[in-house]
Amino acid sequence: MNDADTDADATDRMLLQRMSTGDRAALAVLYRGYHGRLCRFLSRLTRRPDIIEEVINDCFWIAWQKAGNFHGDSRVSTWIMGIAYRCGLKALRQHGDEPVAEDAVPESRVPAHNPDEDRELRDWLGKGLVHLSVDQRVVIELVYGVGHSLDDVAAIMQCPVGTVKARLFHARVKLRNVLPSLAGDSPMREENVP
Amino acid sequence: MTFQTNPDRDCAQAWEAMPWVLQGSAPREQGQALMSHLVHCEECRAEFARQSRLQLAMSLPSDVPLDANVGLKHLLGRLDAPAPQEAPGRSRTAGWLTRALVAAVLVQALGIGVLGMKLWSEGSLPRYRTLSETAQPAPTGSIRVVPDASMKLADWDALLHAIGLQVVGGPNDVGAYTVVPQDSTSTEQHVLQQLRAAHGIRLAEPVTSTP
Repeated sequence: MNDADTDADATDRMLLQRMSTGDRAALAVLYRGYHGRLCRFLSRLTRRPDIIEEVINDCFWIAWQKAGNFHGDSRVSTWIMGIAYRCGLKALRQHGDEPVAEDAVPESRVPAHNPDEDRELRDWLGKGLVHLSVDQRVVIELVYGVGHSLDDVAAIMQCPVGTVKARLFHARVKLRNVLPSLAGDSPMREENVP
Repeated sequence: MTFQTNPDRDCAQAWEAMPWVLQGSAPREQGQALMSHLVHCEECRAEFARQSRLQLAMSLPSDVPLDANVGLKHLLGRLDAPAPQEAPGRSRTAGWLTRALVAAVLVQALGIGVLGMKLWSEGSLPRYRTLSETAQPAPTGSIRVVPDASMKLADWDALLHAIGLQVVGGPNDVGAYTVVPQDSTSTEQHVLQQLRAAHGIRLAEPVTSTP
């Protein structure tokens, strides 16, 4: 954990402590602070905006109720991501993970400095993620997207570190086999991986 | 790069280190070792480029259209809502389920009771006898008597009364009656002699329990 992470965690703890006393302003700050990363994290589970919002609100409803019980065994971000992960799995069981049509996502809502580059990158990523299981997508998001350590991911997913390592390894192998790294590269065979 | 049949230790370590070096969480020495390896390993360079691109793609903001303020408004509305609405709904459902189960158990108990009463009233003895089952033994001292077809009922009754006999069975298919002495003091031989001597009696033989 670097200094920025330590500062962010200290702020989150302070917000949680205030939430435990019923401070809704603290809840609003924490909610806005996590909304973007939770949106992206949960979009690896489902493409339905209504389910994503429902899961985020379930997650913060639990955080609001349990704020006083947070003892600091992990970072606040790990704790919140863990709640979101479990709420997300529950929502998937209830609703399934059927995606919405691509045209349901208005282009104007996608912030990008260069929309063409971003679209190409998203397409490239989408072609790879579609080959991964839900758990593999979650591990990839937590490691590459959010920047969590193996221990954090294990705490979030409530599984042994070895399981996280295996999911990460197999996800990388699959991505390596289906995604060219640069234009013109051909995908590699599975047997060419350690 | 030899990730293949004869894995190179450096390539394997490079593979392990890539995500953490990209995160910035790897120790400085590990990062330096990876960079040194990439200089002379083309395949690991390609893999690292792919990993870098993956990290860049994964760090793009979500393309799912959601407004944090709208979501927060919904959440605050939920916090203001009276005590959870789900619990009473669940308890109502559970109440109906419990009542249905109790009703089903009562109907079953009633059915079992009626069936038990019916079986009890029919008695415990079956209405049939299997071929392997022994026949009901005749009472001790029984005598099988065949009266003549022309014998009047009054004469038959008078004879039975005179000798002190009681009909306990018959007549069967051949018109034989089973009689027993009412007085236990009279001997079987004596009764047989009286019957055989009587007018209108065609046959009088003692009944043996075992053929």
